[in-house]
Amino acid sequence: MKRVSNQYFGQWVNADEKVRFTFEGKEINGLAGDSVASALIANNQWLQSRSFKYHRPRGPLTLCGHDANTLIQTPTTPNLLADHLRAEDHLAVSAQNYTGSLHFDLSRLLDWFGRFLPVGFYYKAFFKPRGIWAYWEPIVRKAAGLGVSNLKVKAPYNDKTYVFCDIAVVGAGPAGLNAALHAANSGAKVVLIEQEPHLGGSLNYHGFGYSSSSRATPDRNEKPDANKDSEIGERFSTAAVQRNNLVEAVESHPNIRVFRSATCNAWFTDHYLPVLQGTRLLKLRARQTILATGSSEQHVVFRNNDLPGVFMCSALDRLTRLYGVIPSTPVVVLAGNDHAYRTALSSKDGGANVTAIIDLRDRCDDSALSEEAHARGITLFAGCTVYEAASSATGHALSKVIVHRFHSDGEAREKVATLECGVLAMSAGFMPAYQLACQAGAVLSYDDETAQFQLSKLPAGMHLAGSVDSIFSFAAVEASGRNAARQAMRNLDAEVATDEDEKFTCNEQVNHHWPFVKHPKGREFVDFDEDLQIKDIVNATRMGYRDIQLVKRFSTVGMGPSQGRHSALPTARLVAKATDRSVNETGVTTARPPLTPEPLGLLAGRRFHPLRRTPLHDRHLCLDAQMMPAGSWQRPAFYGAQEQRAAAIQAEVNAVRTGVGIIDVSTLGGIELRGPDAAEFMNRLYTFGFAKQPIGKTRYAVLTNELGVVADDGVAARIGENHYYVTATTSGVDRVYRDMLKWNAQWRLDLDIANVTSAFSAVNIAGPKSRDVLTALGCDISLEADDFPYLAYREATLVGVPTRMMRVGFVGELGYELHVPSPYIGVLWDRLMEAGQAFGIRAFGVEAQRLLRLEKGHIIVGQDTDGMTQPDEVSLRWAIAKKKPFFVGAKSVEILSKEPLERKLVGFELGATAPQPKEGHLVIRDGDIFGSVTSCEYSPTLNKIIGLAYVHPDDSASGAEVVIRTDNAVHVHAHVTDTPFYDPDNTRQAL
Amino acid sequence: MTEQRDNLFESPLRGATYCGAISIKDYTNKRRWGFRGKDAATALRAEDWSLPDAPNQVVSANEQTLVMALSQREFWFLDPRTEALPKDAKDDAFTDGMYPLFCQNSHAWFVVNGDQTSEMMAKLCGVDLSSDAFKVGDVAQTQMALINCIVARHELDGEDVFSLLVDQSYAEYALEALLDARAEYL
Repeated sequence: MKRVSNQYFGQWVNADEKVRFTFEGKEINGLAGDSVASALIANNQWLQSRSFKYHRPRGPLTLCGHDANTLIQTPTTPNLLADHLRAEDHLAVSAQNYTGSLHFDLSRLLDWFGRFLPVGFYYKAFFKPRGIWAYWEPIVRKAAGLGVSNLKVKAPYNDKTYVFCDIAVVGAGPAGLNAALHAANSGAKVVLIEQEPHLGGSLNYHGFGYSSSSRATPDRNEKPDANKDSEIGERFSTAAVQRNNLVEAVESHPNIRVFRSATCNAWFTDHYLPVLQGTRLLKLRARQTILATGSSEQHVVFRNNDLPGVFMCSALDRLTRLYGVIPSTPVVVLAGNDHAYRTALSSKDGGANVTAIIDLRDRCDDSALSEEAHARGITLFAGCTVYEAASSATGHALSKVIVHRFHSDGEAREKVATLECGVLAMSAGFMPAYQLACQAGAVLSYDDETAQFQLSKLPAGMHLAGSVDSIFSFAAVEASGRNAARQAMRNLDAEVATDEDEKFTCNEQVNHHWPFVKHPKGREFVDFDEDLQIKDIVNATRMGYRDIQLVKRFSTVGMGPSQGRHSALPTARLVAKATDRSVNETGVTTARPPLTPEPLGLLAGRRFHPLRRTPLHDRHLCLDAQMMPAGSWQRPAFYGAQEQRAAAIQAEVNAVRTGVGIIDVSTLGGIELRGPDAAEFMNRLYTFGFAKQPIGKTRYAVLTNELGVVADDGVAARIGENHYYVTATTSGVDRVYRDMLKWNAQWRLDLDIANVTSAFSAVNIAGPKSRDVLTALGCDISLEADDFPYLAYREATLVGVPTRMMRVGFVGELGYELHVPSPYIGVLWDRLMEAGQAFGIRAFGVEAQRLLRLEKGHIIVGQDTDGMTQPDEVSLRWAIAKKKPFFVGAKSVEILSKEPLERKLVGFELGATAPQPKEGHLVIRDGDIFGSVTSCEYSPTLNKIIGLAYVHPDDSASGAEVVIRTDNAVHVHAHVTDTPFYDPDNTRQAL
Repeated sequence: MTEQRDNLFESPLRGATYCGAISIKDYTNKRRWGFRGKDAATALRAEDWSLPDAPNQVVSANEQTLVMALSQREFWFLDPRTEALPKDAKDDAFTDGMYPLFCQNSHAWFVVNGDQTSEMMAKLCGVDLSSDAFKVGDVAQTQMALINCIVARHELDGEDVFSLLVDQSYAEYALEALLDARAEYL
């Protein structure tokens, strides 16, 4: 291979800057700007991968990342594309999907036994005899995987960002650049997305200068000289100048934001476009979308058309023009259209030894091209085809092609020639890059007469420009881009003044109607990804799969990484012929997102884990708190070393039972209800009666939903005639608040509902000495039981802090919940701890609180209830007002109460040394699962294991025995007992 | 009271300031208050407050104070130059039809500015906050990094800034998300 780097050849590489990387452990020298694939070819390494099924040697097909022939991997990432990955120093690249080595792949044996692996093989095999799949599954799965995932690699930092614009232009070729520029000049905010690192698309590599308007025909024996260079420059300069002008105008335009090396991977409703760029996912919100996505060149289907060295004409253009890699072996071009001639001439001008053009047609449409090719010493084989490609002795590279006469009916006839060559460039036509349009609901139709495609029924706001709209001549492509911008602008603002659409015509015929050459020995590949040949597609139809969608599912055609870019059209043609229909009737397979394989990490993006902290968080850490999640909150589980967990919890419980403890309950939900109808609202929402709740009193508040299921609970304090302060469970408050807003949107009562969960923070100071601590702290109201009894609400000032005080008994001891504006809670906590020192105050955490409330038999909604729990099941009948005409769920509760109970939550106890049931352990009745344990702890106060469980109503009486299946299937016999387990007369909390 | 002042308004962010191309400052200890209710707008106008003409707007009511309208009947007052006082955190009495809000206690307040702020915010928030779409005086009640956030664009000391108000319990999390998003702009 030769390397050149000038303004026309090797535009993307810098000859002065070398890069070194390894491929399969071998050092490869490349140039800055090279892709891994181009650098490998420059080092005569055409073999870059092994095919999926038969492990056939494969080299690049498109050189633009549109095929699976260059799948390679790095130590961190499998399934990268060598023609997309930039070559960089120290990069370590290896091939994948081989057994042994890339050059000596033992799995290549599968190719020899290919006849025993027909289409649908996997659907037919492995299922008999019964159970044999268990044997085959690991083998098939191992064979099916490509590359090796490195599970030890540190996940890259992926993130996402929103991007907003008026018009998104996908594709920065001549159509896209013109569309973006015209829209931006008209005042639109434009985002331009280009898959390659450079703008320009085909302007960078296609031989637009070779046409009937460029008829210079130098003598075939002319040596390169200054005049020749000048002539070559003339060929390329027009497109280059045009590209440079467009790119410069686009890049400097304030209304255009350009994203290079970015792939628009889908279209979703309302022009929501996910765009992959490096480790970032752009979530693009556009008002209009212009697709200038171009078209995918199509291959000719002949025997061994997958040999390394056989690739698309556009790939040869890219190799020479972008990377400056000039094949030194003879180059043959297989033409199904005039574009192939331009590739031949362009490559010849770049220094390639183009020896022949084999034209499937009888003549070139633009006779100037064939005349020039002839004049340049390129042998023309009109009405011929490559019948078979042959490999070198190693089997890893192309060495020659056998040329046969090709009849227009699609049959190869007599042999014409054998041509020695190392490169075969082919072009059977172009298929629109239709995927995004079809994802949006557009219809792709095919004209069987002209072999041209047409996209129609585009969704509102989507426009096409360039070859995706089957427009190929340069002037027409540019005009179509500008017209798309005009249409988009009109859609954006009907008032905007846009000039008239440009009129253009494009009659260029790019698609050969039947580029198939059947060979008796097969290996004419239709789908390179899945190693599918002509016979596979035809056989699928013979087995009854006439519908193209069924052919896809049966044969897996189009399911590989290429997503049918090159296989959809030949498959449709083969199915159409085999089923005696037109291609238009046959259609193509459905396009679905994503367009290209995308890393899951990119979809996940940066991991957001919103965590809430109470204002006391740092104080808890200073006390060696072990934090635990409680919904989105972080709460102290207990205080002390992890290994001292049990002892710490026990000490905290003892402190509350015998002295005084303090717990941060800032996570409790808090809702303010203010206004003339606050009482009426409370009365309608909660089960208890609240209309006559005295000011200065609290009341237990149970919330049921419309199905009569217990949804939440809390304490409602009546602060004033029109003022309630209601607590809700930590995890339930958002739902309760939302429900309140919903109900009042219907009831339209006169009140304000405010979620003040974060505005107020709270502590619960509990234990027989809690009153002493508050007294020592200094309180401006009387704390005596007569003045401030159990369940009362008071407002006081503690160390200058305005405090809402509630006498509560959740943990079963004398206790006060102190609710203060959040900024004050720190100072209040500090002063309480100081004042409590003399009384042995101890902070206690969630674990101790759970045990303390369990000893009192108090349920936790969400833990001891589930989505079906009705009030009677958890003995909450007392919390339902009998005389109220209505509350949310009242009708359902009434209906349910008339039905016999199906289960009952009861307390149970076990000896201290019995195996301890855990939450979720099953209650067994008559050998079957009946219920489950919802709470269970060892109580140091009671020296026994206590818990709550759902049991059969017949087993709910005190003294009944229930069987609980504990760890290792050990069954324990627990005794049902009345709750509370502790202080059944409730004397302690009412002190 | 001195004791309380010293300990009052323990912003979980402790007034942190992060300078650079995009600066982030904790304004949680600055003064703010609010009202809601069917009579709120009438009552406030009667007190000579200039209110935004429409919801989701912020205006300068005077040299000190910004007024945000979060709905036809909800108004937040932001005073970015004044430290909050103890009375600002108290539970004020209400009258029917006009209820004081608890925004001093419930929300943390960040002020963010820099030329690329809207670009940085696009990594966290699904609303277009670019200057074309979100002008000075605009307010968005949206989400930032999966938590609720009120975003207001206004001028402060001659600069175009964003005020972000998030639930105070998420203050550290929100700051962490902002700093992470800001890292590429340093």
